[in-house]
Amino acid sequence: MLPLALSGVAISFPGLAQPVLSIDGLAVPAGGRLAVTGASGSGKSTFVNLVSGLERPDTGAIRWRDTDIATLSESRRDRWRATNVGLVMQDFHLFPGLAAIDNVLLPARLARAATAEIKARALELLSRVGLSRPNQSVETMSRGEMQRVAVARALLRRPGVIIADEPTASLDTEAGAEVGRLLLELADQEGATLIVVSHDERLTERLDRRIRLAAGRVVADTAAEVSP
Amino acid sequence: MIRFVFADLRRLWAASLVIVLLVALATALGVAVTLQERALRLGSARAADKFDLIVGAPGSETQLVLSSVFLQPAALPLMPGEVLTKLIADPHVAWAAPIGFGDNFIGYPIVGTTTALISGTTTGFTKGQMFAHEGEAVVGSGVDLSVGTEVKPMHGAAGEGGETHADSIYHVVGKLQPTGTAWDRAILVPIQAVWHIHGLGEDHDHAGEANADHNAAAEGGEEHHHGHIDADAPLDESFSRDVPGLPAILVKPKTIGDAYTLRQTYRTTEGTRAVFPAEVLTSLYATLGDARTVLMYVAYGAQTLVAAALMLIAVIHVAQRRKQIGALRAFGAPRFAVFGIVWLELLLLVAIGVGAGFGLGYGAAEFLAGLFTAQSGVHMPVEFTTSDAVLAATFLTVAALMAALPAALAYRQSPVEALRG
Ligand SMILES: Nc1ncnc2c1ncn2[C@@H]1O[C@H](COP(=O)(O)OP(=O)(O)OP(=O)(O)O)[C@@H](O)[C@H]1O
Ligand SMILES: [Mg+2]
Repeated sequence: MLPLALSGVAISFPGLAQPVLSIDGLAVPAGGRLAVTGASGSGKSTFVNLVSGLERPDTGAIRWRDTDIATLSESRRDRWRATNVGLVMQDFHLFPGLAAIDNVLLPARLARAATAEIKARALELLSRVGLSRPNQSVETMSRGEMQRVAVARALLRRPGVIIADEPTASLDTEAGAEVGRLLLELADQEGATLIVVSHDERLTERLDRRIRLAAGRVVADTAAEVSP
Repeated sequence: MIRFVFADLRRLWAASLVIVLLVALATALGVAVTLQERALRLGSARAADKFDLIVGAPGSETQLVLSSVFLQPAALPLMPGEVLTKLIADPHVAWAAPIGFGDNFIGYPIVGTTTALISGTTTGFTKGQMFAHEGEAVVGSGVDLSVGTEVKPMHGAAGEGGETHADSIYHVVGKLQPTGTAWDRAILVPIQAVWHIHGLGEDHDHAGEANADHNAAAEGGEEHHHGHIDADAPLDESFSRDVPGLPAILVKPKTIGDAYTLRQTYRTTEGTRAVFPAEVLTSLYATLGDARTVLMYVAYGAQTLVAAALMLIAVIHVAQRRKQIGALRAFGAPRFAVFGIVWLELLLLVAIGVGAGFGLGYGAAEFLAGLFTAQSGVHMPVEFTTSDAVLAATFLTVAALMAALPAALAYRQSPVEALRG
């Protein structure tokens, strides 16, 4: 369970006058549930990339408990993310040709972290997300099932934070609801901080706190409304 | 990682197969050329092993060796028969034997010679025994005739066709053990029979033609001096007088020193020429080596092209899989593992290709060697040496280095870009 603290974070891209994302201060307590909404192009994915260490801000600090990932090198951030972040993306990014269980285990295996305990956990997670056939090849699965495999993969190494970018956007309502429910439930059970980027109101309204981005800035924050 | 690599290759099996085939063919080309040249070299050297010194009439040394050691049909000039008489009497000589060509039987050359040559160049009989009469023949291991068969000589060299010597028949009395030389495909008869059949030497029917200045080696069939065998006449291998002209004499010197003395003597003697087949072959190998070099450049060219094509395929492949590769890192795979996967996949394909190429090249060389042996009788040993292992290691090293480029591209692939897709 990791607390997040952003301060003075800004990132721009060449050719753009305005920074794509600029957040002066934002704090999420350990075990907090944050929803990020906003129009297309408002900087939501950029936010995900920054807080998951995929990208480094031009300025500012992104502190997960004591680690400021903005100061880490690319490979250090890779390693930090591997052990601390569970990512769930809109396109599941599963590997065709591999079974569900092998997809869940793949990053851990490549990181040489697939111990017997981890393997047992992979099986357990698959059953917790409601998949009874761990050896089914992923390309034969429905989209809802694929996203559930991705959720199991995200949780494998007991990450302190689960970060999801539009996890339900490419699913139908029913499958989306199921994946949303699983994310909340598992984050609770595992005691992980949860950050979800989504347009899906039925999902976002179940989170403690919602912020809305516009043009790279936080324009609305439910936490601010509660305590003005 | 290995498991992922295999799953990946299985999924892309068609493309993988094409890559393996390309590599295999390019490798096989070089391997086949190398093996074939080596086989030719070893085979011919072994075939010439027992042929220490050959004496003939002045003319092409190469032709003299090709005709006597490899029984390649050609019109050799003749030297006077007394040369044989002199050689047999020479104290430097262990034995000397005439080699007379002329006829063939169903494609096998019939070679007239002596018991001394047969005993001196072979390891003995698998069946039957040495000829003892003029009408008897001994066959090499590669001649598909069994003891007791009748041989009706056809006039002219093998492959020229020609007519039979109607009333002359040899009986096969012995079959020799394999020697791996061209002589395995020869039918060996007493030299006196060859002379008699062509109306030469001490022929009681055609005495007048005995010393005619003509070529027993290859008359081409226009001009026939018919004679026939006196099948029951005993062998006469004294060659002390009235020996007809001869195309070649195989000489077994007593010592190496004697060999050089003899060569010196018969090189300068008028009307003769003496050659060490091994020496002639060495100069032929130089030519063979040049041919090999040219073919190897062709093979290198093909390999370079394949390597370039592979690079292109690999780079395009990595570009096409940007998303997958980047995602691996986003989800927690170390950068180095990403490099390793791409590198290993390529190297594995190349390794399988190189392995298959060595097999294929070996197969091709064996096949060609088989054809050559069937045609010439010379056994061609197709074999790998340590230098081939070095070649394979070189291929793999180059592949390992080249695979590092697409692997590095994968290593540098940004996971953010991959996820945005
Ligand atoms: N590498 C980059 N180079 C240039 N511009 C970029 C880059 N990455 C993002 N942007 C720009 O930053 C802005 C925010 O992008 P981002 O992907 O964060 O939007 P988003 O809120 O996730 O939108 P969507 O809801 O469509 O996914 C966009 O205008 C985009 O064009
Ligand atoms: Mg986005």
